[in-house]
Parts: sequence; structure tokens; C-alpha cells
Amino acid sequence: MSTQRELDDLVKAGYEHGFVTEVESETLPPGLNEDTIRFISAKKNEPEWMLEYRLKAYRHWLTLEEPDWAHLQHDPIDYQAISYYSAPKKAGDGPKSLDEVDPELIETYNKLGIPLEEQKALAGVAVDAVFDSVSVATTFREELAKAGVIFCSISEAVHEYPELVKKYLGSVVPHTDNFFACLNAAVFSDGTFVYIPEGVRCPMELSTYFRINEAKTGQFERTLIVADKGAYVSYLEGCTAPMRDENQLHAAVVELIALEDAKIKYSTVQNWYPGDEKGRGGIYNFVTKRGDCRGDRSHISWTQVETGSAITWKYPSCILSGDDSVGEFYSVAVTRGYQQADTGTKMYHIGRNTRSTIVSKGISAAHGQNAYRGLVRMGPKAENARNHTQCDSLLIGDQCGAHTFPYIEVRNPTAKVEHEATTSKISEDQLFYCRQRGLSEEDAVSMIVNGFCKEVFNELPMEFAVEARKLLNITLEGAVG
Amino acid sequence: MITAELQKGWAKSLLEAAGSAPAPWLEELRSSAGALIDGLPLVNRKQEAWRYTNVEPLLKESFQPVVERPSGYPGEVPEAITPHRLVFVDGWFMPELSDTALLPEEVTCGSLNDAIAAGDERVKNRLGSVADPGEHLFTALNTALVNDGLFLHLPAGVKLESPVELFWLNSGGETPLLAQPRNLVILEPGAEAVLVEHHLPGEGERYLHNGLTEIVLDPGAKLDHYRVQDESEQAWHFSRIVLDQGSDSRYHGITLAFGGHLARTEYNGLFTAEGAHCTLRGLYTVGDDQLQDFHLDVRHDVPHCSSREQFKGLLYGKGRAVFDGRILVAKDAQKSDAELTNDNLLLTRNAEVDTKPQLEIYADDVKASHGTTVGQLEANQVFYLRARGIDEQKAVHMLCEGFAAEIIEHIHLETLREQALARLRQTLGNL
Repeated sequence: MSTQRELDDLVKAGYEHGFVTEVESETLPPGLNEDTIRFISAKKNEPEWMLEYRLKAYRHWLTLEEPDWAHLQHDPIDYQAISYYSAPKKAGDGPKSLDEVDPELIETYNKLGIPLEEQKALAGVAVDAVFDSVSVATTFREELAKAGVIFCSISEAVHEYPELVKKYLGSVVPHTDNFFACLNAAVFSDGTFVYIPEGVRCPMELSTYFRINEAKTGQFERTLIVADKGAYVSYLEGCTAPMRDENQLHAAVVELIALEDAKIKYSTVQNWYPGDEKGRGGIYNFVTKRGDCRGDRSHISWTQVETGSAITWKYPSCILSGDDSVGEFYSVAVTRGYQQADTGTKMYHIGRNTRSTIVSKGISAAHGQNAYRGLVRMGPKAENARNHTQCDSLLIGDQCGAHTFPYIEVRNPTAKVEHEATTSKISEDQLFYCRQRGLSEEDAVSMIVNGFCKEVFNELPMEFAVEARKLLNITLEGAVG
Repeated sequence: MITAELQKGWAKSLLEAAGSAPAPWLEELRSSAGALIDGLPLVNRKQEAWRYTNVEPLLKESFQPVVERPSGYPGEVPEAITPHRLVFVDGWFMPELSDTALLPEEVTCGSLNDAIAAGDERVKNRLGSVADPGEHLFTALNTALVNDGLFLHLPAGVKLESPVELFWLNSGGETPLLAQPRNLVILEPGAEAVLVEHHLPGEGERYLHNGLTEIVLDPGAKLDHYRVQDESEQAWHFSRIVLDQGSDSRYHGITLAFGGHLARTEYNGLFTAEGAHCTLRGLYTVGDDQLQDFHLDVRHDVPHCSSREQFKGLLYGKGRAVFDGRILVAKDAQKSDAELTNDNLLLTRNAEVDTKPQLEIYADDVKASHGTTVGQLEANQVFYLRARGIDEQKAVHMLCEGFAAEIIEHIHLETLREQALARLRQTLGNL
């Protein structure tokens, strides 16, 4: 179906967002030791307990070994060659409004198509934009404050809401969880903190755009979202990074906590630099995302569209501890060029009548390797728990790979688990049908691929769905035909 | 915890009792496998292949390898359903208990040890060429202690009319014994055979059976391979079946696993030429103090091959089952067609299952799917039967039989099918 030439076009397709903004940064020299951590902590004016938390994590990290079980191949990462702090230089105490933000930053966002002001006016979306490691602008704070919603950077939260941070930080992903989460706990630079008080439906969709900018700078974001009883929030995370030659490490941690009757919807579009046509460079994305449905009838939904990064290692999970709680995972992962993705989810059913749905769509093109790795665990007390998993893979070209590694552990007979998986290429019949009706081959393929991903795109908020569809089309341009 | 010390020490104590090999080349094969043992990964839960199967209690047991043919067998030998009956005691072929007289002259069927001692070149050429001794501790151990087992060879075009039936028995005694059968089955082009294996306790109670079977199917050869594993409930049973399939060959394998304290069956299928087909099916039942473990690995290395795997389990009491199935389609193995399913019925509160069906696909023009289910009996199905005047126990039995029938009905030998059904009913009767 695809010719070599077309595949070549695909891998050579330029990275749209590949530019570097020249902003003076205050960057720590590469290296990691206790002093690095003390520096980061001091830089952020953190209280003693936060520094202790970081140091504890760092000391534990020294005892850990980097995991190698994922279906991924990459050069070893030199953790001493990474700089662990980079902040855009700011005058005075930092910007109080958008006007005070470095105009070049604003320009960067404009290039990315996320003009803050426009969004403020048009979309009604509050944006906590993260440029490298420090939050530079937060919009709609006041409006959200009226509703009682706290939406700020984690560094601010540490100062302003220490009790909340102390209570919840690390309670879903403890620093002992895994190698990358532990590293993050030690060196996390900044991130987002969201707290929705009891009974509040967040008046707008919250959104953060991440952008890795400084070369050799690891990005260690920490996101913590707490939805108190009966609260609702939809959170969007989107990211893109400029073109760089060297691999950049990203090890983020996202923690979600849903108390009784609360619902958190977390959507991601990830489009970081995937590396050049030879597979050089690109982002290494090792992310730990986990939600805890702590309260009864709580609901956590993860939706992700992963089109970027050279390496994706990411398993957004749900701990369904509350009775009748619901976990969902919808994912589209695209790998092309030499991209590798090992992604999936974990659903831990602990409470009674817990339900989970997993829909994973993997698309591999060119030399891409795409693996779904998922765990469904039905604990002994998970009476009448239900899980349905569907993971489908689509292969475009004969050099790519699609893999499925589901783990199913059942400790309760009343639990019901179903898992289905298929792997195929785009069927000639479907193509023929579309071609016969006058669609070009490329349009036909795009239509079929979009149809393949529809179940997932339907879960995305409107603006994101449009963006995701566009992104998918751009990503697969020239891959098929 | 399984430490290197425990694993190496356990293997070493067994190797020391190995006895002498019937030929110098075998001695070499043995010692090269023995040399691997120290370097092998520990069979602990950190290893993906042993994640759910804890063999630590086994490594704390001591066993006596049986290094000579037993002089006799104290018990009764079960009746065969065919004229070709081969009896093995503690892994050794027992000619006086076996009937192979009616087999065609050109067919070789009997003791592997005898064939080696007689300088059979076919054994020398193929033994160890299909199965990798370094796969894990138990395969290395089997190879390091090769003594006896089945050697079956069918020349080109020979089609056996009646099945060859094997009985694996144990002699028992004070010390737990280690039976280490090594089987080699070679079907030359166009040959056809049916092989039936019964793994029975015999007089034994606590013993370890660690079998390794290499099967070579030349172009166009066909083998139906039925295995009934009904070991003692205190026994450990390991079986690894490794296939090497030539073009257009057919392998049809069914394992029925009822017995054993810890039983692990591994199938490793490899297609070496186009047009081959492999079907693996299994039915397992597990109750209190039992673990059934199935590990399948089917590799599609060449185009135009197909494979079907279907495994079903009935779990009751505190029974545990582990299923790990992998289908690998290599780069360029276009037009591969593979399907893998695993269904489990949990009949009681404390039964546990861990299942892991995997696909690894490196070619685009393939059809590959897998599916797995875990659940209990549908209440409305039971209700349907009860509404028709069938008591609950009977209803449950009927539904379980129906569930198992999907595997049993693929047994093409009527007597064996009936035996299997009777054995299943016996298990269900204990519910």
C-alpha cells in the first residue's frame, strides 16, 4: 500500500513547532546531587518540609535501578548530564498580569497557536502556561477564585496552601513508586495545583501548555488535582517542544484525587519533538500518571492523544478504591519515524461495583513501535466489578510494529473482565469503497484512521478534538497513499 | 525468596546425581547445558515468565533423579485405547510393559536411551536442535540430565492408522523422585501420526516431572497430539513442547490438565517455512492447593502461516491459574493469521486467575487478534435451567460441561473424548 518514497516523505515531514525562543534563562549546570536539590528548593523559597520531602526521594532514588521491562530501546540516559533547573529570567517578583510577561514568551505561544489573550476572551479557558519549569502566567485566577477553585502553580501552592499540598502530594504516587516518579519527587521544578472544593463544578475547562525549551533541560512537572466531594473538573494538558538534537528527558508526575461523587476528566494531547528522520534526538517521555477514586461513586477519566516524543513510557492509571467508582482510559497513540511508545493503563479495582473501560488505539507507521501495556486487577473485595478492554492496532507500512501486553489478575469471582485486541492494516475493501466514491487515497485513509480513533476523540473536549484530528492528519501525512 | 544460592544449590544437588550418559556426544550436550545453569536468571517473580508462579517451595524440596531404568513397576498399568502402548516409569521406557509389535517396521518408536546407545544418527542430529536448553532453569536441567524418553520417527509418507499411546507413571517410594523424560518426535515429509499422552501418578505421590519434548514436522507432515495431565495432587509437573514446523505441516495439540499441585505446560511453536498451521488447545481445572500454569509462545517467522490458540479454565476452591500466551509475527511474515483466546470461569469465592495474552507484531499485512474473559457463571443461565426443573448443582454441571465442551469436542478419538468427559465430571462432582 505505501511505497518507500511515501514513507520517506513521512519521516522527513518537518516538525511544525520546531523553533527556539531566545529568552535569557537561569540554568543550573548539568549534574545531580543533594546540592542540586537544595538549590532548586532554595530557588523556590520552599519550606523545610518540602526540602526534606525532596531529599528523602533523592536518597531513595539512589537505591533504585532504571527499569528495563518496557518494549523500548534507547541509549542509556546520563542523569548527570542533565540540568535540573531552568527558569525564564524575570524582573522583580515576576509578572502579575499578561502585560508583564516577556513579550518573546507571548510570541512563542502565539506561534504555537495558543494565544493566551485570545483564549481568555474566546474559549473561556484558563491557562497556566508553563515555559520550561516556572509558571509565567496564570489567567482567570480571579474568576476561578470566585467559585472557590484553586488553580495555581505547585510552587505557589506550597506557600499558600501548605496543608492541602502536604495532605495530598505523593499520596497517589509516592516517591517510592518507581524510578522516574522518584526522580521527579526529588527534582520537580514546577507544575500545576488544582483544588475544587466540595460541590463545585469548575466553571471552565482548565488547561496547561507545557513547553520544553532550554536544551539539556529536563522537565520535571508535577501536577496535583484534587476534586473534593461532588466536585467536577475537566483538565486539558497539551504540549509541544522545539527541535533539538539531543535527547531531552521528561519525567512528569500527575496525581489526581477524586473524593465522593467527584469527577475528574483529564485530557492530554502530546506532540513533543519525535526526533529527526534517522531517529536522532526527540523527547524521552517517562511519565507517571495516576488517579485515585478515593470516594464512593467517584469518577476519573483519562483521555490521551500521543503523537510526539521519541520515547513514550506512560500508563495513566486509576485506583478504584471507592465503591461504585468508575475509571476510564481512552488513548490514541501514533508512532512514526523511529518513535517508540509503550503506553497503556492500570485499573486497580478495590471497591465494590467498580467499573472500568479501556479503549486503546495504536497506530504505527514507518519504523514506529507501538505497545499497549495494561493491567486490570480485580481485588478480593471488588464485588461485581466490571472491566472491558478493547485495544486495536493499525499498521501502516511493513517496517513498523504493534504489540499488546495485557495483564489480567482476578481475585474475585463476581468480577467480570473482558479483553479484546486486534491488529490489522487498513483493509483494501474499505479503501476501495471510499476510492470508488471519489475520495483521494489520502483522504480515504485519513477518514478511515479518524474513524478508527473516533471512540477516543469523542471523549475529548470540543477544541481538543478538533486539534487532535488535525494533528493526526498532519502526523500521518505522506504515511499512506 | 529465591536466591542465587538456593537455585544453584538445588540444581547442583541434582546434577551431582546425574549418572553416566550412553554416548560421548550426549555427555557433551549434557555438560554444556549444565554449564548454563549458573548463568541463568533466577526463576523468581521478578522474571516475567515466573511472575505469577512461585516455585520457591519446589526449590526447597530435594529430589532424587532416576538415572537408571527401573527394574519393574509395582502397580497396575492402565488399559490402552490403541494397540500401540508405550509405558514409561519415572521417565524411563519399559519395554516389557509396552506393546509396539504392531507398528510398521519402518517406524521407530521406543526408548531414546536405547536409540542413543545404538548410535542412532537421527537422534544425534536432531536432539537439542529444536529446544533451547537455556530457556530457563528447568529446560537446562532437563538437557543436563538427558537419559530416556520417547523417540518416535516416521519416514516420509508413512501414515499411522492407530494412535501411539504413552503412559507416564511413577514408582513412588520414600524419597521424592525426579523424572526427566526427553522426547524426540520426527515426522518426515508427508508422515502422519496421532500421539496420546497420559501423565498419571502411578504409585507416586510427591514427585517432580520435568519433561521436554522436541517435535520436528517436515513438509506436509501432520501430528495430532493429545495430552492428559492427571498427576497426583502433590506432584510438580513441568512440560515443555517445542515445535519446529516445516512448510504445509499441521500440528494439532490439546492438553487437558486436571492434576498436579503445581503444573506448568509450555508450548513453543516455530514455523520455519510457509503454509504451516498450528492449533493449540487446552482445558484446565484447578481446585484447592493447585496451580495450573500455561505458557505459550508461537512465533510466526515466515509468511503465510496460521495459528489458533484456545484455552479454557474452570477454577474452584482456592485454585489458581496462570495463562501467558504470546504470538509473535516477525518482520516480513506477511499474511500471518493468528488468534489467541483464553476464557476462565471462577466457580468459587477464592479462586484466582492471572492471564496475559500478548501480541507482538512486526508485519503489517496480518490478521492477529486475542481475547480473554474472566467471570463467573451467568446467573440467568442457571436460572433458565432451574426454571425447567433442573436442580442447581446439575445446572452448574451442565453449564461447566458446555464451557469445556468447546475444547473436548476437538478430540478426534472417541474413546479419549469420553474419558476426558468422564474425568471432567469427576472433578465437577467434587465441587
